[in-house]
Amino acid sequence: MIEVQNLTKKFNGKTVLNGISFEVKEGEIFGYLGPNGAGKTTTMRIILGLLKPTSGNALVFGEDLGSNDKLRRRVGILLENDGLYEGLSASENLDYYSQLYGISDREEKIKNLLDFVGHSDRKNDKVGTFSKGMKRKLVLVRSMLHNPDILFFDEPSSGLDPEAQRMVRDLILQLSKEKRTIFLNSHDLDEVQKVCSKIAILHGGTIKAYDKVENLRNKFSKPIFEITLIDNADVLNALDILHSLDYVSDCEEDGLRITVTLKEEKSSKILNELVNNGISVEEAKRLAKSLEDVYLDVVKHSGERHEYE
Amino acid sequence: MSMNKIFTVARKEMKGIVKTRSQMLVGIFFALWFSVMITIPVVKTVEGSAVVDHFNNLIFYLVLMQGIFMAYLFSGKVFFEEKREGIIETLLCTPLSLRQIWSGKVVGVTIIAYLISLLATILITIIANIFSAILLLPSPAILFHISLVVPTFVAAAIGLLGFGHFLLGMRENQILNISIFIAIFFALFFTKNVISGGYAVSWVEVGVLLIVAVLLLALISYLTRFLSKERIVTTIP
Repeated sequence: MIEVQNLTKKFNGKTVLNGISFEVKEGEIFGYLGPNGAGKTTTMRIILGLLKPTSGNALVFGEDLGSNDKLRRRVGILLENDGLYEGLSASENLDYYSQLYGISDREEKIKNLLDFVGHSDRKNDKVGTFSKGMKRKLVLVRSMLHNPDILFFDEPSSGLDPEAQRMVRDLILQLSKEKRTIFLNSHDLDEVQKVCSKIAILHGGTIKAYDKVENLRNKFSKPIFEITLIDNADVLNALDILHSLDYVSDCEEDGLRITVTLKEEKSSKILNELVNNGISVEEAKRLAKSLEDVYLDVVKHSGERHEYE
Repeated sequence: MSMNKIFTVARKEMKGIVKTRSQMLVGIFFALWFSVMITIPVVKTVEGSAVVDHFNNLIFYLVLMQGIFMAYLFSGKVFFEEKREGIIETLLCTPLSLRQIWSGKVVGVTIIAYLISLLATILITIIANIFSAILLLPSPAILFHISLVVPTFVAAAIGLLGFGHFLLGMRENQILNISIFIAIFFALFFTKNVISGGYAVSWVEVGVLLIVAVLLLALISYLTRFLSKERIVTTIP
């Protein structure tokens, strides 16, 4: 569906993207992460045919979107900029785009979509009078007007309240069930974690991590354990023991609870060390690693700095 | 090039201009103001049959200049604002080609600018007849000028302004737009004076102007082949 091969983009001699490659298959929800200025928007613009790569290529359905006007009918977009005509009403905005995409049953489709996002009562109001969240919802349904096979979402939940954010997530999952492919450009790691099947983390113009979310969690995050002690008197002793172990990178104490970050997977050894030293342990459990941990780990450890987005 | 898509863009642009009341009022006000302020002194001071030539000469210039002024006024909204607000990026991702988008906008703005020019023609004719002792009607050459030269020239001006908006950054555009407007204004006076120094408007003058307008439109249309989406996207503020 989307193939990005050895993509490089330079602006006035500055390298923004440096030989990035990834692939998004049919029905996948692909999360594209990275700090501001990492090159996410540039990548998306190249895939959408708005920018030409300096070298390498970005193909959608095996072709360059920029040079194939008809192929863009199969692509839906929600960019960071809403791209709405504020002087036109909600239904006029949708009607214009549905004409550009050559949709036949426009009226019914627009009505259904406005119902879906709860804008029916404001359909004749100028978009300029809408709140940011309302505009975002309108842009979301505009991207789906022509039933595209691939959707590019750039920060879809930006400006939305929690209820609307949940609606966006559910919608993305629903679209994926319908075998539609989603390219999600987002800063919202929680959102990405909940919906994406595969992610790539971009930093300094190169991809630092690219895999399924679960695989990346295992690969990048350090093992974290939470140990609960029985006796308060054991806490200081336990901390001394843990700090003395060379495979422990960090310990944080909160009452009887100690959170231990390991440099490597040696969880069973920790318990033995504590018990052998007379520490009474009530519970020891491995904490789930979040995508945030992975992301921060990747970004923190790639020392390069971004130049442009 | 699918005409349907071009007319879809043109219709939307026309609707957008008409709905922007402030801009429409400015356009209509200028049509009214210039028609009144220039026509009355000309018709009142010229005596005898010479008033016919002066009347035709007035329409020749005034209608064309008003059309070009409307082109300047409305192309700012249609091309400049769309780029400044980043809307153009979404439009460039639709199945339309860049030339279809440009053509649709040119057609839409031309229709509105031309309609206001026609309104100016009617106003000038009515006002001139109120203050004239003899019946004043546009000559056949002027009717040809109004029906063909004016819309072609206006379309060429809008095309050129739109091309500049797409091609250049915001600051360069503001400078260039004024320059284009002034250049067209003086070129028009220069052309007329080179061909004939008198007030009468001949078929030769109208014909020459039509050829200039057609060539200009063809040149700009050709130049749009060199526009790129990258150029537009990277000059969005």
